[in-house]
Amino acid sequence: MGMPKQASKRVADKAEVQTGADKHAGHGVKDHLGLLAEMTREFTASSDYKTIAQSALARITTYMGAEAASLFLVSDTGEALVCSACYGPVDITGLNIAANTGVVGRAVATREGALVRDVAERADFGAAVDAKTGFTTRSLLVAPLAIGGDCLGAIEVINRIGGDGLFDAEDLLLLETLAGAAALAISNFRLTHKIVQQERNQHELELAAEIQRDLLPQATSRDFPIHGINIPARSVSGDFFDILPLPDGRIWFNVADVSGKGMNAALLMAKTSSLFRCLAKSAEDPGQLLNAINNELCETNSHGMFVTMVGGLFHPGTGSLRLTNAGHEPPLHFDLRTERFIAIPADAPPLGIAQDIAGPDGFPVTEIFLAGGMLYVFTDGLTEATTFGGGMLGIDGVRALIRDHAEETPDLRLKSIAGAVKLPGQSLRDDLTLLVVEDMGLAPVGAKPPIDNKLSVEDGQIMRIRIPARPDRLKLIRAATEQACKYCDAPEPWTFDLKMAVDEACQNIVRHAYGNRGEGDIMIDYSREGDVLVVDIMDFADAVDPETIKSRNLSEVRPGGLGVHLIKSVCDDARFVPPPPGVGNLFKLTKRLPNKVS
Amino acid sequence: MSYEIRNVNGAAVVALNGDVDLQTSPVVRQKLLESLEGNTKVVVDLSAVNYIDSSGVASLVEAFQVSRKKGASFALASVSSAAMRVLSLARLDKVFTIHSSVEAATQG
Repeated sequence: MGMPKQASKRVADKAEVQTGADKHAGHGVKDHLGLLAEMTREFTASSDYKTIAQSALARITTYMGAEAASLFLVSDTGEALVCSACYGPVDITGLNIAANTGVVGRAVATREGALVRDVAERADFGAAVDAKTGFTTRSLLVAPLAIGGDCLGAIEVINRIGGDGLFDAEDLLLLETLAGAAALAISNFRLTHKIVQQERNQHELELAAEIQRDLLPQATSRDFPIHGINIPARSVSGDFFDILPLPDGRIWFNVADVSGKGMNAALLMAKTSSLFRCLAKSAEDPGQLLNAINNELCETNSHGMFVTMVGGLFHPGTGSLRLTNAGHEPPLHFDLRTERFIAIPADAPPLGIAQDIAGPDGFPVTEIFLAGGMLYVFTDGLTEATTFGGGMLGIDGVRALIRDHAEETPDLRLKSIAGAVKLPGQSLRDDLTLLVVEDMGLAPVGAKPPIDNKLSVEDGQIMRIRIPARPDRLKLIRAATEQACKYCDAPEPWTFDLKMAVDEACQNIVRHAYGNRGEGDIMIDYSREGDVLVVDIMDFADAVDPETIKSRNLSEVRPGGLGVHLIKSVCDDARFVPPPPGVGNLFKLTKRLPNKVS
Repeated sequence: MSYEIRNVNGAAVVALNGDVDLQTSPVVRQKLLESLEGNTKVVVDLSAVNYIDSSGVASLVEAFQVSRKKGASFALASVSSAAMRVLSLARLDKVFTIHSSVEAATQG
């Protein structure tokens, strides 16, 4: 920034400056008001801050017959005063002085103007600036830029030209009046600037929202098993969902909620959804996938933000679904036949909080057989939404809505559920995301024969045993299973598999239902229904949530968790069904007898 | 279930006999881990195993993992058809080193 050209010219032309000084001597109130009016006009006409400041300083300097003037503004931190414009032979724009020091600092701190008639008489005058610039200060006027309770900075005017070269009290009064107008102008400018900036931000937010909408998957066709809906509360959303079909027919899906709102949340959402898309293509299991996303997020994420997510892999061919819940609102499995809901609670912390918390096995995985049912995954924007009645919808409200709209097509159903908490044109309190996975019965007929809920029919019953639930009785149960198979003329390898399945199921009762306490009984009904051998395994313990019984991830080599996998591998169907009165849990195994037997 | 431990060509051979289930697998687990403490090579003879359940398989997996940590050798030999059925359902037949006989496992 160079010295303004007109300044050097004016200072060089001594005669003209002299005239200016003479004129000032004769200024009356009328002239002062004229200058004020002119400056105010100028302030409101221009939107360029630098130009206004420069022009105002030029006018003030000339009018007062002074040699130089500068405008100091309080820095953002309030710790310094920065010269943001100046007029005169030496350009000190950008000069930084500590707040509360010197004549200028004191004027700002006390909000009172200062006159140093003759610098030579003042010991406390800081000559440091003069030493730097080569300029000699002889007389000095400072007026604060006060507005309301604030002080924005100060205007400093230096050295009168002509006469004794010194200012007087009248000069200070004039400068203070002019500074008042300048303060108002600066304050106005800042306000306008802020509004413009806000409008610009709003525009950028709208662009971000558009990009974010593009990150969500396209609406899926009616015969596709997974559908989702996202309604942001503001222009950008911290919620998202994704649906990613694989070439082999399986489908990845997720629903996630980023902590916080606004732009930060939207950016973290964009990052997380990209990670999901990218890593899902090579992942085998949701437990591994969410673990990998967590580790990636932890490597770079900061500011205490995190993401809750339900990520899953659905196999439309079998109706089976594996999912991991990382700190998210529990999804609901809706069993169409029993009309019962089963919630799948989070058994892992949200993503982005701590690295490598899951260990080598990844996050825990829950396996669900939808069996014609549906899985609903949603964010707390749904459960915590306000209903038209005024209360919070809550999980019971969500269940009721799902039941009420069960007959509708998936797409319409999601809109109906969301519409129950959001009026058209009104905004939500929180982002709302809802996704449904439906088993559309694509499983091969006969692969999982439908079983009714009643106990095995009396006429087909082979035998019933009741035996203490203890490890040393498992051998007897295996012998009983063998005899039941022999009764059906089942071949040896077939018998071995069923024996193992029943043994593993009973083992789970001993270990989990009764907690290895060696108490309680197991009751087993063996019956034949046509070409199917049905084994009803009952205990008298507290009811277990069947969805918490997990099948193990076979790509990991580790002890334990194998039993459920072995059972499901060898049976045509294995599931918990509603138990008869007096029974705690009923686990029903069915296995079709080989053709030659039936 | 019964077991027998002998030394063949510098390897500890643990021969299991009968049913390895929830009742007996804790003993199997203990014997396998003990054998790994004093030997750099452990072979489990499964020829006389009529039945093995998931807890028995878990004992084998745990011993396998301990052997890898220690840099010891751990192998299964002469696996009965019953045991092989369970190992293959668990997809562990590709994880364990499996020899057709104890002799084959202890040579070299």
